[in-house]
Amino acid sequence: MPDFQFQSLAEFFAMGGHALYVWSSYGVFALMIVFNIVQPILANRKIFQQLKARLAREENMAATAAVTIAAVTIKGGE
Amino acid sequence: MLQWFYMLGSPKLFYTMTGRYMSWLVWLTVIFLGSGLVWGLAFTPPDYQMGENYRIAYIHVPMAILAMGCYALMASFSAGYLIWKIKIADMIAKACAPIGASITAVALATGSLWGIPTWGTWWIWDARLTSTLIMLFLYVGIIALRSAFDSVDSGAKACAVLSLVGVVNLPIIKYSVEWWNTLHQGASSLSLSDTAANPPEVWIPAFFVGFGILGFFLIALILRTRNEILLRERRSQWVLEMVSSTVIDETRHA
Repeated sequence: MPDFQFQSLAEFFAMGGHALYVWSSYGVFALMIVFNIVQPILANRKIFQQLKARLAREENMAATAAVTIAAVTIKGGE
Repeated sequence: MLQWFYMLGSPKLFYTMTGRYMSWLVWLTVIFLGSGLVWGLAFTPPDYQMGENYRIAYIHVPMAILAMGCYALMASFSAGYLIWKIKIADMIAKACAPIGASITAVALATGSLWGIPTWGTWWIWDARLTSTLIMLFLYVGIIALRSAFDSVDSGAKACAVLSLVGVVNLPIIKYSVEWWNTLHQGASSLSLSDTAANPPEVWIPAFFVGFGILGFFLIALILRTRNEILLRERRSQWVLEMVSSTVIDETRHA
């Protein structure tokens, strides 16, 4: 089992004086990961909402059309 | 055989299969990436010349390799689209571009951060760095080119051609450190010996990180490709059935 290479947590965060470079590298990397996962998930949610709204709109239009046709038919039959 | 080929190219099948195995992929990625990063950051001995700064290499190296791998993948799918007109090949190629661009940017940024204390400069116009920067411009150019077309098919063809032209850059990046006298070091050799410059205790965690990053790449690629499938197949029966049977709530994607 490999050993922890630093004397303390403070030394770990200090990275032997290279803290700025090491942690900003890992920070940039973490941001890139989060961006590439979160962005498509948000986009997916939006697509579902838009498709759902379109479906509802089309169903609504179909229902209106059916009612109109029925009304016209009834009127014609009088 | 041909039928299998067609099935693989079916957007619907791609959508259902990737949905089925996504959670496995996420778990594997979290395990490999998490353990590899902790191992590399805290449990490997410091470098005798670079000290703790070399720990940046645990992300810089896989990012640089993946940036090129992603380009090669994008170009392969572009060729597949041009030759066989497989729609899903173009969707995957399209998904590759933004991921590849961000990965290349991270490879350059981490290289710069590593270079400040090690080389004394964050940038130099050496062959490896310059050719990698060109790859970033290629990715950005491909994204911009696609958005310049109103027609999906014309944009796809133009992007596929540009992607294939850009492949010439890949061997230049790979062999730049051998062809020219660059400040960037060559590839490190992996040795099983404990006394080597690069002993197993240093490169084994790098492979954990590497597999984790590969997993992340596949997840990001699949997520984007699935969105592209939904958008392009939005008129088809299976998408409409899926949408009407899905209840939209905030926990669905958790």
